[in-house]
Amino acid sequence: MKQQEFQEFYEASRDTCLRAVLAGVGDRQLAEDLVAEAFTRAWVSWHSVRRHPAPPAWIVRTALNTRVSWWRRRRREVALEDGHDVAAAAAETPGLDPTLLIALRRLPQRQREVIVFRVFLDLDTRTTAKVLGIAPGTVTAHLSRAVTTLRGHLVTVDHPEARA
Amino acid sequence: MSTHETDVTAALKDSLDGVTMHTPIDEIVTAGRARRRRRRVVCAATGVVAVTGVALGVPALSHPSTAPPGPGVSTGAGAVHIRTAAFALDSQADGTLRVTWDKEKYFQDHAGLQSALRAAGFPVLVKEGVFCKGPRDDGYLSPSGAGHGVERVVHGERQRDGRVNLIFDPAAMPAGKQLFIGYLSPAQLAAVNGNPGSVERLVPRSGPLKCDTQAPPPHVRDNGENGPVKKGG
Repeated sequence: MKQQEFQEFYEASRDTCLRAVLAGVGDRQLAEDLVAEAFTRAWVSWHSVRRHPAPPAWIVRTALNTRVSWWRRRRREVALEDGHDVAAAAAETPGLDPTLLIALRRLPQRQREVIVFRVFLDLDTRTTAKVLGIAPGTVTAHLSRAVTTLRGHLVTVDHPEARA
Repeated sequence: MSTHETDVTAALKDSLDGVTMHTPIDEIVTAGRARRRRRRVVCAATGVVAVTGVALGVPALSHPSTAPPGPGVSTGAGAVHIRTAAFALDSQADGTLRVTWDKEKYFQDHAGLQSALRAAGFPVLVKEGVFCKGPRDDGYLSPSGAGHGVERVVHGERQRDGRVNLIFDPAAMPAGKQLFIGYLSPAQLAAVNGNPGSVERLVPRSGPLKCDTQAPPPHVRDNGENGPVKKGG
């Protein structure tokens, strides 16, 4: 019963969680490792996680709090300073816009976290605020600022002629 | 979300639509089973009850195999590492417990702190807005809100980045005693300009305590400003 229930949860939410964590960390492989680690912890504690009001939020929060490989991550953080390695990593995944990941990484952490939970997990403002431990009004403000920053990027990507 | 925002957020979500998880569920389950076996072995060997982030109602538990091996952090059997939105607790190689707080959330999740410290073997009673002392306590408090002997079991370290580390020493706790931590309520904090933020006393582990809602006076330094967060001094 546990196995089947967990499997259904995994199948239903793994991609959503991965995209959310990817938006948070900006590295495709690291995001996969983090989400896999979070799902493993969820399996171990499934009797509790299944009762969580938003299990995917538990997964993403856990993934973002987790350091799967301390040394590997440190190495990456140094390498990612100029953003070129992000582009290289993203290029390995067809359809992934490397400059978008760079734009997300350049957002302040709180704005990025609001994007993760509010946009990619589709949580409402109140739940996002609760997950992040901030006021609902702060969520709204961070989202607005992040959208303003990203709008220029997305418009440029969608309409390259706008660069002229 | 306004229309102004939904077009951008929709485009943002669409841009990652092609990203899918490749890890098969068998790998997740296999790793989970192995981890559960290891946890049982650790519990059986040490008699320490496993601490889970979920049981504490906190977002995450760092596993010894994945936790960052910071300096002095214990990674052996029975080591406790807990991560929450408000704080992180790590048992140290010297037997002490290091609690690192996020400054912005310093006065949140008191119940979580109490549960985590108790699970790590440190006897503690945490309350908010209520201040307790033992029946024979003379009521002494240092300007930073610490009673007699508190400095032996806990001391604070403010980091340059604004975080506050608290070092708890279970071995230094006198027999039959526990640490009482009374955090000031938001109204009480406002009345003392945020300092002291809490009261600490050593109190009996059993038997009645004398408790009231009388907050300590503001901690004002000689220059008239509120002093730093420093416990045990």
